[in-house]
Amino acid sequence: MIGQLWINGEWCRHDADPAAPLHRVLRENLGLTGSKDVCGEGFCGACLVQLDGAPIAACLVPVALAEGAQIVTIEGLDQDPVAQSLMAAMEAEDAVQCGMCFPGMVMTLTHLLKTCPTTDREKVKRALAGNICRCTGYERIVSAACRAAKDLVAADAQKVVA
Amino acid sequence: MNLKTPFPDPVFARRDAFDKLRGRTRYTVDEACQGHLQAYLLRADVASGEILRLDVSAARKMPGVRAVVTASDAPHRFGIGVADQRLFATGRVRYKGEPLAAIAADTLEQAKAAALAVDVVIRPLPAVFDMAGALASGAPLVHPDWATHEVLLETRGAGRGGNLAWESQVRRGDVDAAFSRPDVTIVESAFRVGRQIHMQLEPRAAIASYADGRLHLIASTQAPWTVKNVTARALGLSPARVRVTAPAVGGGFGAKYGCTIEPYAAALALACGKSVALVPSRAEEMLSCPCRENADILIRSAVTRDGRIAGREAVVLMDCGAYGGEQIYLTTMTAHTLGSSYRLEAVRLVSRAVYTNTAPNGAFRACNGVYNIFALESHTDEICQAIGMDPVEFRRRNVLGDGDLGSTGQVFQGDVLGPMLEKMSQMRSKGATLPSDDGRLYGRATTVGTWFVFVGPSAATVNLNPDGSATLVTAGVEIGQGTMMQSLPQIVAAELGLSPCDVVVHQADTDAAGFDVGVGGGRTTVSLGAAAVAACTEIRQKLLALAARLLQAPASELSLSQGRIDRVGHPGTGMTLASLAQEAMQITGPISGSGAFTRPGVAAMDGCAAGHFLEAVDIPVFAVHDCDVAVDPATGQVEVLRYRVVQDVGRALNPSAIHGQIQGGVVQGLGYALHEEVTLAEDGAFRQAGFGSYRIPLAQDVVPVEIELHEGAPSIGPWGAKGAGEVPILNVGAAIACAVSRAIGVRVQELPLTPPHVLALLQGRKPALQLHHPQDWPARPGTNPPHSTAAVSVAG
Ligand code: FES
Ligand code: FES
Repeated sequence: MIGQLWINGEWCRHDADPAAPLHRVLRENLGLTGSKDVCGEGFCGACLVQLDGAPIAACLVPVALAEGAQIVTIEGLDQDPVAQSLMAAMEAEDAVQCGMCFPGMVMTLTHLLKTCPTTDREKVKRALAGNICRCTGYERIVSAACRAAKDLVAADAQKVVA
Repeated sequence: MNLKTPFPDPVFARRDAFDKLRGRTRYTVDEACQGHLQAYLLRADVASGEILRLDVSAARKMPGVRAVVTASDAPHRFGIGVADQRLFATGRVRYKGEPLAAIAADTLEQAKAAALAVDVVIRPLPAVFDMAGALASGAPLVHPDWATHEVLLETRGAGRGGNLAWESQVRRGDVDAAFSRPDVTIVESAFRVGRQIHMQLEPRAAIASYADGRLHLIASTQAPWTVKNVTARALGLSPARVRVTAPAVGGGFGAKYGCTIEPYAAALALACGKSVALVPSRAEEMLSCPCRENADILIRSAVTRDGRIAGREAVVLMDCGAYGGEQIYLTTMTAHTLGSSYRLEAVRLVSRAVYTNTAPNGAFRACNGVYNIFALESHTDEICQAIGMDPVEFRRRNVLGDGDLGSTGQVFQGDVLGPMLEKMSQMRSKGATLPSDDGRLYGRATTVGTWFVFVGPSAATVNLNPDGSATLVTAGVEIGQGTMMQSLPQIVAAELGLSPCDVVVHQADTDAAGFDVGVGGGRTTVSLGAAAVAACTEIRQKLLALAARLLQAPASELSLSQGRIDRVGHPGTGMTLASLAQEAMQITGPISGSGAFTRPGVAAMDGCAAGHFLEAVDIPVFAVHDCDVAVDPATGQVEVLRYRVVQDVGRALNPSAIHGQIQGGVVQGLGYALHEEVTLAEDGAFRQAGFGSYRIPLAQDVVPVEIELHEGAPSIGPWGAKGAGEVPILNVGAAIACAVSRAIGVRVQELPLTPPHVLALLQGRKPALQLHHPQDWPARPGTNPPHSTAAVSVAG
C-alpha cells in the first residue's frame, strides 16, 4: 500500500505499514533522519515533528494518522525565522554537545517562542518537560531560548520603528 | 609549558553545532536505518542455565533471512583483564539477556520473526544475583572453569578464584599498629550503591560490511582500535583485516568505551557478504548496557584527636556481572580514588571484582571514583562528627599537598587541593544567604575528590597542506565532549601559528590513524593533544629549516604566527605558510609530521600495590564541590539550591567548553545521587526498561552550576592541560549525600536519595546497612574469600 504525507511543503510517498510510527517512516523510508529514534515511547522528545503547527512525538503517531496533516520536520524548520534565531542563540551560548537531543529541543522551543514570546527561565524549563538531554545539564539550552526571545522582541521592535 | 605563554584562541566555537541543530549530522544510527540488512540478537531468557539445544535451521528458512550466526562462528574468548567471554553463550548461559544467536534479515521485523523460530532448550541452573551470594561459601560458580581463562594483563600479586574475578590490594605502613594505638578514635562506615545506566541518546550501533577480504565497521564507539582488536579476536581474524570508522557519536559516557555489539554485525556480514546494521532498541540497550557497577564499601579509619589519619583500611566489592570486563581493570582505581585525597600514615585496601549472574557492567564516566568518593567523603564527615572537628577544617588539614604520599606511595606534586578549598570558601562567602524558614530542612557540604587522566598511548599525524591549512589525523572520536572540535584544532593551530579554523580534523579511521586507546578517562585532550604537539614539532622543524634557506635567516630568528613565518620582531618580512608549503613541493616534497605519546610512568613505592594495572597515576586531577540542599520533611523531596565547583584543569584551553562539561557532568551526578535507580527482579533482570522507569534529570531538576577553574597545577599535558570532561561527575554523589545527611541529621549510607529513601531515613525506618564482608575484616591482603578453592597469584 502506498501512503502519502505532506512534509516540509511537498508530497512524499512511502510504502510503510500504516501502523508504523511516523518517526520510523521519516527515517527509514524517507531519509529524514533529523527526527531521532531514542525512546520510542514519547518520553524523550528526540523525535519531535510539527503536526499542523504543534510539536508532537512522532514515535507515538501511526503514520496513517499523519496523512492529511501538515508535517514539518527539523529539516523543514531551517527557513523559519524564529527557529533560525533560536539556533543562532544555541550556537552563541555554546549549548550543543553530542547533538542528539537538539532537533527535538529546537522543535519545542521554536513553538514556545511563537506562542509565548515573553518567556523566562521557568517557563522554558517547564516547556522542556518532554525533552531529555543527557549531555549538557540544560542550563545553556534555557539561556539560549531566553536570548532568542530577547533577540526576537528586539527585531520586532525594529520592524515597528522602521 | 609555562602558564605565562599565552594560549591563542581560547574562545573557539564548535564547528559541528550548526548541523547538529538542524538535524543534518549523520550519526551511525542514521546511516544504519536505510540500505542495510538489519540484525537482531536472540537472547537467553534465564540468568543461569545449561544450553541443551540450540537449533537455528528453521530460522534460516524464514522469509528475508540472510544469515544466522551462533557460538560456533565465534568460538574465541576475549576480555579486558581476563579472557572470560565469548560472543555467544556457549554451553552455558550466565545472565538473562546473554546473546545466543544473531540474525540478519531484509527487515528488523523479519529478523525478529526468525529469532522466534530458533529452537532453544535451556536447563535452568542455580544463579547468584548479588555479591553476598556470590562470595558465600558453596555459592554456585558463574565460571566453574575460571582457572582455565587466559590472563591478558600482567600484574604482580593479583588474587583470583571462584566468583572472585580479580582482587587488587594496597598496603603501606603498619595499619594494625595504627588501629591499636591508644590515642586514636576508630570510625567505621559502610556504604552501598546500585548501578547507573548511561542513557546516552544514541544507542550503541554498528554497520558491518565485507569487501576485498576485509571487514569494515562503522561504529558508534569511543574506542575504534578496541573495536578493531576485539572484533578480530572474537572472530579469529587478523586485526589487519578489520577497519573501523566512527562518525559523530550521539553520547557515550563510557557505554561505548568497550567493544560490545560490533562483532555481531561483523560476524553476520562475514557470513553473508552483505552490509549489516545492528541497532539495539532502547529496551535491549538497557537490558545489556554495560552499566556503572553496583558496589559495597566498608571503610574504617584510626584518627587522632587533632585529626590526623593514622590508619585507614577498606574493602570495596565491585559487581562485574557475568563477565569481568572493565571491572577487573577498575579494581586498580580504588587505590587512586578511595585511597587518595588525604594524607594517610598507614593504609590497607582490598578491591574485588565479583562475578554474578547479571548483565556485565562496564565503564561510566569517572568509573569507580563516583561511589568511592561518595563513601570516602561520607566517612570523612562521620570521622569529623566522632572527633568533633569542623568538616572543612578537617579537610584543610589533611588533603594531599606537595610531597605527600598517595596510598601506593606515589609522591604528589604541588599544593592543589588546599588552595582549591580556599577558593571554594571565597566563592561561598560571596553567595547570598538562602531563606531557610519554610519548614524544610537545610544542609550544605563541601567535598573533595581525586581523579586522574588515563593517559595511555596515542598517535597523531599532521599534514601541512599546500593551501596553508593543516589536517590532523587521529583515531579520536567526537562523542559530544568537543575535544575533536575545539581543543585539538586549537592545539595544532597554536603550535603552527594558524587559526584553528584552518585545522581540519579527520574523522576516526583505523586505516588512516595510528593506535589510540580511545576517548575516555579524560585522556583525549592530553594524550591526543600531546601526540599532535609532537607531530607539529616535526613540522615546525621542517618549516623552519626550509624558511631559513628561503629567507636567508637563521631558523632561531624565525617565528610562526597568524599563518605566516617571519623574522622575530619583523612581521611581514617573511612569507605565508601557504607559499612556504608550496615551495616545499619543489624542494622537500609535502610537509607532514607524526607524533606519539604514552604515559611516562610515575613510580609507586615498591611492594605497596598488588594486582594493579596502574600502580600510580601520571596526572592526578582534583575537584572540590559544594552544595546547599533543602529537604521537605513531609515528602522526602531533596531540592538542590546551589551547586559550586572548583575544578583543577591544569590549564583551560577552552574555558567555555570546560564549563559546558562541568554543568553536564554535575547534572549526570545529580541523577546518580537523587533519581537514577536500577533494581533487579527475582530473575536477575533489571526492572527498569526505558526513560519512563529510569528517571534521569530533566530541565526542571537542575540549577546553574557556579564554576571556578583552578589553573596552574603541574601537568605533563599539552600546554599544561588536564582532562576536564570526566571529573565533573566525581564528587556529586558525595556532596549531595553529605549535605542531605547534615540537613536531616541522619547518616546516609546508600544512593540514590529518592524521596521514599529520604523519608525512610527521616522516619527511622531504614535499617543500618549491614555489609556482608566482616569476615574479611581487617582487610588483610591475600585473604581470599573462604570458598575459593584455588586462588592464584598472577605472576608479573
Ligand atoms: S523517540 Fe519519540 S519521544 Fe523519544
Ligand atoms: S547534547 Fe547530547 S543529549 Fe543533548
